[in-house]
Amino acid sequence: MLAYTLRTLAKMVITLFAIVTLVFFATRLSGNPIDFVLGEGITKEDRELLIAYYGLDGSVWTQYLRYLAAFVDGQFGLSFLERRPVADVVAERLWPTAQLILSATAFTLLVSIPLGILAALKRKSWVGSAVMTVAFLGLAVPNFVLATLLVLVFAYLLNWLPIVGNGTPAHFILPTIALSGLLIAALTRFTRNAMLDVLSQDYMRTARAKGLKERRVILKHGLGNASITLLSVIGLQVAGLAAAGSVVIESIFAWPGIGQLLVRSAILRDYPVLQFGVLTVAIAVIVINAVIDIAYAYADPRIRLAKG
Amino acid sequence: MTDHALSQAGVIRPAGSRRSIPGLAALLNLWREANAVQRTAMVLALILLLLALAAPLIAPFDPNAQSLLSRLRPPVGFERAKLAYLLGTDELGRDILSRCLYGLRLTFTLALCGAVIGLAIGFVLGMFSGLAGGMTDDLIMGLVDAQIAIPFTLVALLILAVFGSGLDVMILVLGLYGWEQYTRIVRGEVRKLKEMPFIEAARAAGATPWRIARRHILPNIVSPLVVQFTLSFSNIVLLESTLSFLGLGVQPPTATLGSMVGIGRDYLPTAPWIVLAPAAVILLLTFAVQILGDWLRDRADVRLRSR
Amino acid sequence: MLRLLASTALISAALAGAALSAEITVGAANVSTYLDPGRDHSNVGSQFYYNSFDTLIGRNHDTTKTEWTPALATSWKLIDDTTMELKLRDGVKFHNGAAMTADDVVFSLNRMFQADFPPYQVRARDRFNNFAGAEKVDDLTIRVKAKRAEPLWETLLNLQQVMIIPAAYTMSLAGDPAKLEHDDFEAFSLKPVGTGPYKVSEFVPGQTIVWERFADFWGDKAPLDKVTVKHMPETASRITALKTGEADIVTNIAPDQLDMIDKDPDMKAFGAPTALFHVMIMNQNHPKLKDARIRQALSLAIDRDALNEALWLGKAVVPASHTMEEFGELYMPELKTFEYNPEKAKELLKEAGYDGSEITFDTAAGYYTNGLLATQAIMEMWAEVGVKGKINVGDKWTGNSPELMVRNWSNPMYFADPFGSFGVMWAPGGPSQSEGRFNTDDAYAAAWEKFRFSGDVELRRAAYAELMDRVKADPALLPLYRPYEAWAMKNSVNWQTKPGHIPYVLDFRAGSISFN
Repeated sequence: MLAYTLRTLAKMVITLFAIVTLVFFATRLSGNPIDFVLGEGITKEDRELLIAYYGLDGSVWTQYLRYLAAFVDGQFGLSFLERRPVADVVAERLWPTAQLILSATAFTLLVSIPLGILAALKRKSWVGSAVMTVAFLGLAVPNFVLATLLVLVFAYLLNWLPIVGNGTPAHFILPTIALSGLLIAALTRFTRNAMLDVLSQDYMRTARAKGLKERRVILKHGLGNASITLLSVIGLQVAGLAAAGSVVIESIFAWPGIGQLLVRSAILRDYPVLQFGVLTVAIAVIVINAVIDIAYAYADPRIRLAKG
Repeated sequence: MTDHALSQAGVIRPAGSRRSIPGLAALLNLWREANAVQRTAMVLALILLLLALAAPLIAPFDPNAQSLLSRLRPPVGFERAKLAYLLGTDELGRDILSRCLYGLRLTFTLALCGAVIGLAIGFVLGMFSGLAGGMTDDLIMGLVDAQIAIPFTLVALLILAVFGSGLDVMILVLGLYGWEQYTRIVRGEVRKLKEMPFIEAARAAGATPWRIARRHILPNIVSPLVVQFTLSFSNIVLLESTLSFLGLGVQPPTATLGSMVGIGRDYLPTAPWIVLAPAAVILLLTFAVQILGDWLRDRADVRLRSR
Repeated sequence: MLRLLASTALISAALAGAALSAEITVGAANVSTYLDPGRDHSNVGSQFYYNSFDTLIGRNHDTTKTEWTPALATSWKLIDDTTMELKLRDGVKFHNGAAMTADDVVFSLNRMFQADFPPYQVRARDRFNNFAGAEKVDDLTIRVKAKRAEPLWETLLNLQQVMIIPAAYTMSLAGDPAKLEHDDFEAFSLKPVGTGPYKVSEFVPGQTIVWERFADFWGDKAPLDKVTVKHMPETASRITALKTGEADIVTNIAPDQLDMIDKDPDMKAFGAPTALFHVMIMNQNHPKLKDARIRQALSLAIDRDALNEALWLGKAVVPASHTMEEFGELYMPELKTFEYNPEKAKELLKEAGYDGSEITFDTAAGYYTNGLLATQAIMEMWAEVGVKGKINVGDKWTGNSPELMVRNWSNPMYFADPFGSFGVMWAPGGPSQSEGRFNTDDAYAAAWEKFRFSGDVELRRAAYAELMDRVKADPALLPLYRPYEAWAMKNSVNWQTKPGHIPYVLDFRAGSISFN
């Protein structure tokens, strides 16, 4: 078991090292970022002076070694733009993004699980098809379109909801809905299918035969078992879609999160921030996946029993 | 003839069995199986495809032709509208209908290029990985793991940051989308097939690895690849419009649907049609491709499961 | 549920409105990523320094006429051609509570005049080259030494870059508290301290700046208790923020939006042509553009008035030369350096044997208001005279690339003199020449010398006219227009930028803002 854990950890470290290296050399392909950092109108001598000051002189290899050395020191470099350690820059962005993703995940679960169950139970009536049609349509709305439309209606036209930043709870409403759109559509369908699978299982029939109330059967047995499938779906879908979606949503709503930071760093070539930001996201994805694996094992009685 | 390749998903066929390509009959068969939503999606996809193909013929204006005197005109039916501009004009007095049509055309082209390149890269790497094994396999799968750990939007951001935005870079970015999925599928199948008796037999008979790949392995992984391709295509459509929306895609004045929405956002309070027209086209397009992609995958899944 | 939440949002907005008399929120399109008046000369930064920092010599900002006023210096006089003595104001306090001394002033001036920190060296080179240094005479007197007779003493001592900062505080920030290190200046840019009426109480780079009234300010007390500047990058979001109560004033409103704001009973807009030119620059040394006639044609083909009408609704100002009203005695509208003449453009192209090859125009997508639109319109205008143009969008500065053909740029008025606008960018050996896209010769340098250092205004005017003739004959730039920059605000707020400021200053000092 320990050996397995160590091997997994070693693999993770290698993956991360590969990412750091790839990102470093990829960013250096576009020439010296100083032309983005300094902007317009500067004499040649001054340019040289600042290149040296920003530590962008020397060969790519020298810079790479310098970068790795800084890593060992626990320093990850200074942001070109903000003139402070990138760890500080990235750290203050993590919580807003986490908040947004958590909020969207919670909203997604609240909406799509009841809807999915409803669609499964009423699959023969118009209610079921109505839910599924809406879920189908939801799959087709890219989140930037949804966000733009929400902004148009609820902010520009009705002036009901704020749209800039994350200052108050009201600020969460539109970004959360915009980020959840695709997730809800996907998860509703998964919930329905998972429920249908479970409902046809033998133990459900047994439970019903035991005279348990339908509601109880569904909630206890049905949902309990369907949640295994749901967990894996949430893990994959939410981690992936939310990470990608937050880049767009944060840009639209000026949300001070890591997605917006990465877009800015990419456009303005703030490489130290970009490198550290990508690394942070990669670590987050890897860790979240690991946590989901564990949760998955825990939630599945078959796996749990097999281990016990 | 049926949609043989699809229905045979995952079934291992010895060399020499009849290969079939999904054609018109397959489409008809699909149509018969489809429900109302899926049929709508099919019709819609066809219409959009035809519109994209015919864009140069039916667009009333050159998509980049400006008329500074006719800036920000609303669609026909509203105050200040000009009859020639059915869906109104944008901030430079360009015809929105024409730009939507050309944008649609470009989106299709880009998504197709991207999906094909992704397939090619993923396929080749998967083959290498599966056939060679050892260090090569470890290296390629390491790359796959790294790719999975970084959300693709980030990869796209990085590439666009490095190479700048432009049509060529955009194709490269879209082409990199989903390669790891193909690689995993191909590698998995190859490794499974490699141990099969008929491959052993072919190898014993002196067939070259290339011949084995082409004659024996390829036919057996066509079906999951077709499904993955469809899914990938629909995701690339989304990705392209998202990147263009963020202003990272194709450069102005070239119209893409996403960039029209992105740039038009500044005019949302004053000239919402600049955003609404391309947004509607994006909705229709993603609706069609997502529903179809999803459905084909489910179909393949069901068949796999029912085996 | 949505309705319920929405109404709570409205109530909180209304409550915020009630407290508006002393606190406001500003929605800014751009927020600085660091705050150091010495290092910065960007249009983004210039918004923020005036509220928190003072110069030695002030200026009456209510007029474009040059009227110097006492600020941290109460009086000043020339001792000889190259030495100015300044008496310092007594009892001035920094935001950290320390009293301002002659040492702080000398430190602040010499951080630029004798710069050792590379970002300061770069900033100092283009404008403070003629200053040797500053020295303390007594606790309330300092002297500034110039290298040669300086006609622009007050102008240059009024610059943002020589705003006064505390010496001991700065040195204490990083490393050894008794020593001055480069990291001290880096740290200062995140925790700025000055003598102005507002102290920076919170700063999140690129996101938020919070100003609070500084009780010990030496002059008229600040009218607001608190100002929060928030980053709101989207035009449409900024306007909406006024309606949803998220902001009281917002920056950078494009002319296209003004009509809607005027019609809305809850908000109003204020705007003026900014003291800045959007310019088109042309690389004199690109093989395809070596012939001056080609560049003249590219310039003559552009109908700048049409651009103004279409993109700025006629509110921008199209200049006949590189000159602005703010230059006072050196404002020279009579010069006809740039004009629209497509027929002549066609002729020149023919004479020069233009081969129809593609001419690329580099532009940054979001950097200049209407920049991309103007570029696209210019492509059409070029096409009218037979020039094949191609737009190349990117955020990278390409002005130093030998492949550069044409691109857009801006020439801000860093200070109210042609030296502070044309002069910063187009001096012999300045950025344009150093980047290899602009050539000067001895005659140009001689004219430049006269323009820069003559004590006599008429001589300076004549020399500037000569420089403009050179620009016309062998053009490397075309000023397109002074963009019209507007701010929008709630109807209850009365605020305007004052005409005597450099572009974009958000001035919230006494007398600049009031409420209905």
